[in-house]
Formats: sequence, C-alpha cells, structure tokens
Amino acid sequence: MKLTTYTKHLAAVAAVGVASMSPALAAEDTIKFGLCYDLSKSYTFVSPQVSQAAMDLATLVNAKGGIGGHPVEIIVQDHGNEPQRGIECYEQLKRDGVHVFDMLSTPVSIAVLPRITKDKNILIQSLVGRGDAVDGSVFTQVFPVGPTYWGQVANDVSFIKDQSGGDLSGVKIGFAYLDYPFGQEPIEILKTLAETEGFDLQLYPVPLPGNDQASVWTNVRRNKPDYVIAWLLAGGHVVAAKEMQRNGFPINRYLSVNWLNEVDINNIGAEAATGIMRGTNVAGGQDLPIIQEIITEVYGNGNGAGDVNNLNDVYYNTGLAIYSSAFEAARLAVEQNGFPVTAESMKAGYESIVDFDANGLFAPITVTADDHGGGGKTRVEMWDGTTWVPQQDWTAAYTDLIWSVVRESSAGFTVE
Amino acid sequence: MFYRLSGVHHSSYKSDRKMFPVPADRNLVVFLLILGIAAPFLVPSLYLNSYMLPWLIWTAAVLGLNLVTGWAGQLHLGYAAVMAVGAYSAVHAAKFGIPWEFALLIGGLASSVIGSLFAFTALRVKGLYLALTTLAMQFVMDWVLTHSPAISGGSHASLQSPTFALLGQKITSDAGLYYVALGWCVLVTIFMLNLKRTGLGRALVAVREKDFAAAILGVNSFYYKVVAFAASSFIAGVTGAILVATFYFLAAPEQFAVNVSIQVLAMVIIGGLGSIIGSYLGAALILLVPGIVNKIFSGGADVIGLNLGIETLAHIPNAAYGALIVIFLMVEPLGLGKLYANVRDYLMVWPFDQLKK
Repeated sequence: MKLTTYTKHLAAVAAVGVASMSPALAAEDTIKFGLCYDLSKSYTFVSPQVSQAAMDLATLVNAKGGIGGHPVEIIVQDHGNEPQRGIECYEQLKRDGVHVFDMLSTPVSIAVLPRITKDKNILIQSLVGRGDAVDGSVFTQVFPVGPTYWGQVANDVSFIKDQSGGDLSGVKIGFAYLDYPFGQEPIEILKTLAETEGFDLQLYPVPLPGNDQASVWTNVRRNKPDYVIAWLLAGGHVVAAKEMQRNGFPINRYLSVNWLNEVDINNIGAEAATGIMRGTNVAGGQDLPIIQEIITEVYGNGNGAGDVNNLNDVYYNTGLAIYSSAFEAARLAVEQNGFPVTAESMKAGYESIVDFDANGLFAPITVTADDHGGGGKTRVEMWDGTTWVPQQDWTAAYTDLIWSVVRESSAGFTVE
Repeated sequence: MFYRLSGVHHSSYKSDRKMFPVPADRNLVVFLLILGIAAPFLVPSLYLNSYMLPWLIWTAAVLGLNLVTGWAGQLHLGYAAVMAVGAYSAVHAAKFGIPWEFALLIGGLASSVIGSLFAFTALRVKGLYLALTTLAMQFVMDWVLTHSPAISGGSHASLQSPTFALLGQKITSDAGLYYVALGWCVLVTIFMLNLKRTGLGRALVAVREKDFAAAILGVNSFYYKVVAFAASSFIAGVTGAILVATFYFLAAPEQFAVNVSIQVLAMVIIGGLGSIIGSYLGAALILLVPGIVNKIFSGGADVIGLNLGIETLAHIPNAAYGALIVIFLMVEPLGLGKLYANVRDYLMVWPFDQLKK
C-alpha cells in the first residue's frame, strides 16, 4: 500500500545524492562558511545584501591569497525561514565539513541552537536570535558579534539624554514597536531606564505586519513625545513616515532600530527622509576603505557577486561587518592553531579578537570568552538627504544594566 | 495480477471485515514496515534525521487532521495551534519532572480539551464560517504564545525541551529518535486504518456527507463532531510534543504559526481527503519536495555551468514546487492517495483488462 511512498523517497534520496555531489567537488583545503539564509520569504529585505557582501569579501580575501594561504569558501543555501529546512541545511552542511554557520533568521537560529550547542559547532548570530546569547559563558558556541536590541535601545536612550543636555527628567520618549518578540524585547530595558532616568515612557504597539499604524501616530500627536524610538522593519518605516507627516510629528525625532536602509529611505523619499536617525553598529555610506577596495578590486575586475548598485545599502555594510569579524576570527584561528580551522580553533579565534574595527567599518569590538557580543557599541547616524552622518562616537551605555538582564535571561538556558 | 484477487474468498463476516481484504496490500504494508524498521541501517543519518523523521511526525499530524477534515468533513485552519498546546503542555510537564510517557499524555489531553472547547463554539457554524472560527483560534494561540513569557519560555520565546526518555531510558541517538517517530506514526496509522471499519468511522462519514441526513438516521452529529475534534486534537497534541522532543528540541511560536496550519491542511488536501496513504504522500510532497527541488536546481545549475544569482536560485524552486502541486491536483483532484488508488485499480485487473479491447 505504501510502495509509492518509499520509491518516491528513494528517488528523492537519489536525486539529493546526485545534487549534493557538486559541493563535494570543492577543494578540501578551504575554510568553509555555511550560510543558510532566508532568500525567499521574510528576510529577503536583508539576506541578498548580506550574502553578496560575504561573497565579495571572500573574493577580495581570496584574491589576496586567502586566510593564512587558504581560500575562503562561502556556501549559501535557502531555508525560506522555515525551522525544518534550516535544520536540514545545517545537518547537510555539517556533514560537508562546515563548522561555522550563519542563519540570519531569528526562528531558524533558535531552532538550530540545541543542535549547534550539542555538536560544538559555531553559530554566527549577529543581529538575530536570542539576545542573551552574548553571554559566552552560557552560549559557548554562539557569536552574536554586534549589539543586542537591549544594548541598542539603551544606547538610544543615552543619545537622547545627551541631546537633552544630560538630563532626561521630564523628557517624553515614545516607543513604537512591532507587537511580537522582536519589538517587545527592548520594553523591559526601557521601563527600567524610565524609572532610573526619570523620563516618561509611552508604548505604541504596532500589530503585525506593521502596515496599520494610524492609531499609533494619532496617539503620538495627542501625547507629543520628544522622540520616538521605532522597532519596526522595512515597510513599517515607510508607513510610519507617512503617518508622521500626516500627524505633524517631525521626522528628525524618529530614531530607528538598525533595520532601516536605503531602500526604505528611497520609499519614503530621499529628500523627505532628511533627518531620520538610526542606531547602528556599522558605519553607513560608501566612504569606507574596505568598500572602496571591493569596488575597485572585485567589481573592477568583474568578479562581483551581484549588481554593483546593491553596494549602496547599509545592509551590505552590515554583511561586510559580520564577515570581516568572522574572517578575522578565522585568521587568528589559523595563526594560533594552524590549518584546518575547527570549531574549537574558530571559537578561540573569535575570543581573541581585540579592538578590531575593519578600518572604521564598524564599532570596535573586543570579544572575550564571557562577552561574545564584542562590547555592544553603537552610534546614532542621521540621513542628510544623500548619505549617513554620524551624530556621536561609538558608545555602549548602561552596560551593567544590560549585562544583568542578559545574565538573568541566559541563566534559564541549559545544555543537555 | 499484482493485487491478486483470485483464490481470496471471504466466507464469514469476520474475514470480510479484515483490515486488508486483499493479501497483497497486507504484504506490502508488512514489507514497508520492515523497511521502515531497517531504515537506520539502510539510510544515511542525514536522510534519516532531517528527512524521514520529520516526514513521519508530520504524517502523524496529517492523519490527525485528516480525521477531522477528511473523515468528519470539518474544515480546520487552526491545527498548528492545537499542536502547540500539546507541545507546550508536554514540555512544561516534562520540565516539571513528570516522565515523558505521561507528559505526552498530558500534552494530548490538554490539546484535546482546548481543541474540543473550540469545537463547541465552532460547531454552531459550518463550512467557511467554521474555517474562519478555527483560523481565529490559531490567532488567539499565536497571541497567547507571544504575549505570555510564562508559557513560551521567557526571553525570546523559546522553551527548551528536556531530553526525551521512555521507560527511564534517555533517547539521544539518531536511530532512537527515529524509532520514536516511527512508532508514533505507526500507532496513528493503525488507529486510522481501524477507524475506517468501526461504527465511529462510519458515523463520521455520515456526518461528513450531510449532517442532518445523518441525524435522521439516528447519528448524533453534534456528538460525533465533538468526538472527531477531540480525537484529532489528541493526535495533534502528542504529535506536537513528539515533534519538539525529537526534532526541534525546543518549542518556539514560529514552529506552530498560521503558515504551519495552512501547510498541514495543504498536506491533507494534496494527499487526498480521507486517505491514509495520501497522508504519507501529501506530507512528503509539502514537507520534503521544496528542499529537494532546491537542491536539484542548484545542482543542475552547477552541472550545466549556469551562473544564476543566489536569489534567483532560491525563487525558481518555489515556482517549480508550486507548479508541481498544481499539476498533481490537475491530474487527480482527489489527491495523491487517489493517484495511487488508480494505479492499484489498474494493476489489479492487468493484464486481463487488455483482453476486452
């Protein structure tokens, strides 16, 4: 009765077997990075730029002789933001000899976490996944280099404090957020800070998917906050910009999470968006040595992994930042423990990164065995109509508070 | 010829009501069961644990949904929510120190209660209205999960599952976990095979065909609808718990979101309403084919040296996969199960049907 099921399965297995031959042909002396990305569903607003950045950076590094003489290999696969397919991708690449993985998706990063922890492989988890994973003493295999959302929002508050003359009492801060875990994450920190710093916090939940913000901004008009910190994504910013205009809220008091890029700016209108701010750990714009080098060395020779126009996007810079630090970790790993790079040596490599910023590409990071986030520094940048202008130096504020929240949260995670 | 009928005589009601009146069917099932048991020794661990294990668990889920949708004819768009209830209650129970055997039962019963609670309200309405009510249940559950850290596991809404154990024996090996999934799937399959030939199964079918006609026949349609919801929710709950315990190792709201509900329903429809073999095939098509088509396309592009962008490579398989579903349903609207039944019917009389022509 179930014969067709089985023959179908055998056929499937055979097909997959044939299909997976090709990656196996790749040279065995490469340093492999497995990118299981969502290239077809929810994360498509960022995943193409990040993977293009990873491949371009690999091309650049390989043209210069690789890492310690060994070429870098970037393997990209689509998982469509489905935990099941993410696990499938992880299990397959693991068997192809990949030790370093990047999922660039919160649900999939969370789904592979138990497996990666058990297998003692490395999970690059910048800007996605559990925030408390920066606690290296608990999440030994996870490297979320960059800020947590907790750290980011604390830095935003400290920026507003500076702007308000060092005193937040009497200042009203609105928080517009997508009403699901991504947007809810900073609320506890904001509440705590509102108590200690004495500012007035107003919460504006935005229902998924973020297209309907009419009630949020009429409330903003009524309550008149001095700043609105926004934990929205992609199209959410565009809707917010329209509503801000309608309700007379100045766009230069809108401080976005790092997920705001040139695509959103163009949808708002480059001119109309002048003054909009975003907290970021990565410098925006193309006026950076590494991007100039990629434009001349990689795209100049026709080796780019995509359209050169895609480079004018801060998510490309974000991708470069993630992989600059990953390649730096691999370089240190080869330097310390030689080739091949194992998960263990990669971990040691990551944990010996000191004050690295890839020539001003991102906030300097120092990764330690306890702090896998690298310090969590960010700064606020403002869109001036053509490019991003930094408004302050890289900072990490209220770190004691952030770490107490991280530790409290990570204490609930145990590895079995 | 392949499903030989000659020499098969049923001389008593008992033998006529056998599960497999045609011996060839029974032999096939036994053969496949043996293959299933031998799979850990035949199939590489990658395929065993990333393809076969989730496939079996999802098949159990599809069978459960088929009970309420295929047999009792009640459209259900909140199935993943019911699975979530089971998964979360079982994991919480296991974390509390209750042995997994009972934790699974608690998960199943919790799902059963919540599932039939919704059924009570839902059963006042029919058809598309029922579909919307169950969809609402899905959204209620999504909201509860994302807004109650106590249930969803605090920060980042991920709840780790303790190591799965049966009879005090911790199960961690690939083969062990696979056998758990196989065992549960076989159990549900046996239940469903038997359902077909019981009074309950026939009552459900009567309710499906026309509930007030069933009422005239003396079948209490309301009662049987609630029973269908309760039984199907129980299967959903245990399946959800097993899915978390043996495959995901932690529960997160995205694993039981609305798109998962739609996927399970798609598995039922593509497999064939009320078809057991169809449930296996439907789960395989929806769950496994996207990844496989993906690999065929990226492998194919490599072989012929076509340099497609990674985004194009991610989107082409989606289109091909969608086309595949449309083609299957165009060829046989009653689903993959019916497709198999067609082949079986043809082979049953082959080659003698050729003589007539």
